[in-house]
Amino acid sequence: MTEARKNSLTDKLVIIVWIIALIIVWEIGASVVEKTKRSPQNVLPHLSQIVESVFSDKMVSNKQTAFQIVITNAGITLLRAGIGFLYGAGAGFLLALAMHRFITVEKATFPYLMMIQMIPILGMAPIVLAITQDINKSRIIIAAILTFYPVATNMLDGLKSVEKEKYDLMRSLAASNWNIYTKLLIPTSIPYIFSGLKIAAPMAITASILVDTLQGGAGLGTMLSQSLKHAMSIYVFWQIVFFSATVGILSYKLMSFAEKIFSPHERAKGAR
Amino acid sequence: MDKHNRSRLSSVVLPLLLGLAVIILWQSQLLHRMIDADTFTLPLPGRIFNIIVENIGKILINMKATVTVALGGLLMGSLLGYLLAIIASAFPKWGTGGLAVVSSFNAIPIIAIAPILNNLTKDFSRDPNVRSMLAKTLVVMITCTVSMSVNAYRGFTELKPFSEDLMKSFAASKGTIFLKLKVPNSVPYIFTALRVSVPASVISAMVSEYFAEYIIGVGRQIRENIVLAQYATAWAYIVAAIVIGVTMYLILLAVERASMKGRP
Repeated sequence: MTEARKNSLTDKLVIIVWIIALIIVWEIGASVVEKTKRSPQNVLPHLSQIVESVFSDKMVSNKQTAFQIVITNAGITLLRAGIGFLYGAGAGFLLALAMHRFITVEKATFPYLMMIQMIPILGMAPIVLAITQDINKSRIIIAAILTFYPVATNMLDGLKSVEKEKYDLMRSLAASNWNIYTKLLIPTSIPYIFSGLKIAAPMAITASILVDTLQGGAGLGTMLSQSLKHAMSIYVFWQIVFFSATVGILSYKLMSFAEKIFSPHERAKGAR
Repeated sequence: MDKHNRSRLSSVVLPLLLGLAVIILWQSQLLHRMIDADTFTLPLPGRIFNIIVENIGKILINMKATVTVALGGLLMGSLLGYLLAIIASAFPKWGTGGLAVVSSFNAIPIIAIAPILNNLTKDFSRDPNVRSMLAKTLVVMITCTVSMSVNAYRGFTELKPFSEDLMKSFAASKGTIFLKLKVPNSVPYIFTALRVSVPASVISAMVSEYFAEYIIGVGRQIRENIVLAQYATAWAYIVAAIVIGVTMYLILLAVERASMKGRP
């Protein structure tokens, strides 16, 4: 026990050392850029300058500081990403159930499910916007498609991983279909669903930001491109870079956390 | 045998029927009514096909640009990732933590990386096409490095029980253990990584084209044509993008099957 705790402590220390190393590399790069480029803040500013811009109360535009801009627009983008994520997860869940229940559905849709993975969906974002004519709908649709695929395929794997003996046993006890699904098939596939959700969560956020850049209005992506075009302080851009990276990582952690809550079986294993 | 054949036949026929149904719905404009679109933004399949035939030369130039970026970045990223995994497995204590930090890069949206690299490579060349190419390739490289390094590292460390001890008992040198045991063991893991990074390379190539200075590439053409309200042409480039994505993935599957032959 103490050995294990000691190990996880050294692991954390190692990670901290690596992060410090990255910061040092960044700072060296920033110092080089500072001496060689005319406008270094566009290429690679010092981290301290970015942090300073977060806390500065200088109005950048519309009576908002740079950080307020990032936060208000992030709300818009993330909400849409979240809605799309839920729709996609729901649709993936239902399709996996249908594919498992009806072999015809599985055979007819499986090649297309594989194809979604190979098709650059993000590249199709502009045409989705052209068809729906609504930036919010497009954000939701693209995020949903990107979530849909990993959830559906992983859950199907989960449903198929159920041991045949358990299934036969429930059948022989005359369990209803409803009971077989709610007591055996769905609980078994929960860890699989979560591995799909963990892949999908950062993708849904990326997609939502990308769709923002296609049109004016509000959203993280819009601010990102305006900041790059120097319509407002370049530090808005740098804040968005770090903000979106943090949110991407957090979305993954959030799914791991939800997995612990929703999958009691795994939790029991951990507690033992 | 008969039953087996019938089952194989149905897994070809059923998807074809579904695809045919969608195309019929599309061509007969029922699909347009279902999703409330018009034939202007969602042109009929026949018209898209005609446009592809008419503009095939231009489409091929753009496809070449995208494929060059995707493959170049994929190759550089995978090699770098493999190298990182070798270094990490040589110093496991520091390597595991380093890879954990590297893998968090995966969560950074491409959209944030692409503009940074565009600015970084501004002075690289006078020719905007060359420097855009470099910036785009670097973006793809970054997206491909992570999955290769994480998976190859697992390939180096998740060995069969006692196989490393056995090699040591034969007094095999570290180099021999690495070449004869660890490298072969990592091959299936390389393909696991490529299954993620091949589609990712195409997507990041297309997205980085949006931010590039020089206007070329399938992804950029989709966007440019939509800005010009040339929806049918945009659809032709979408078809081109799908062709690139599917072809590269199928090639990967074929290579994987060929190189895994004779493995348990």
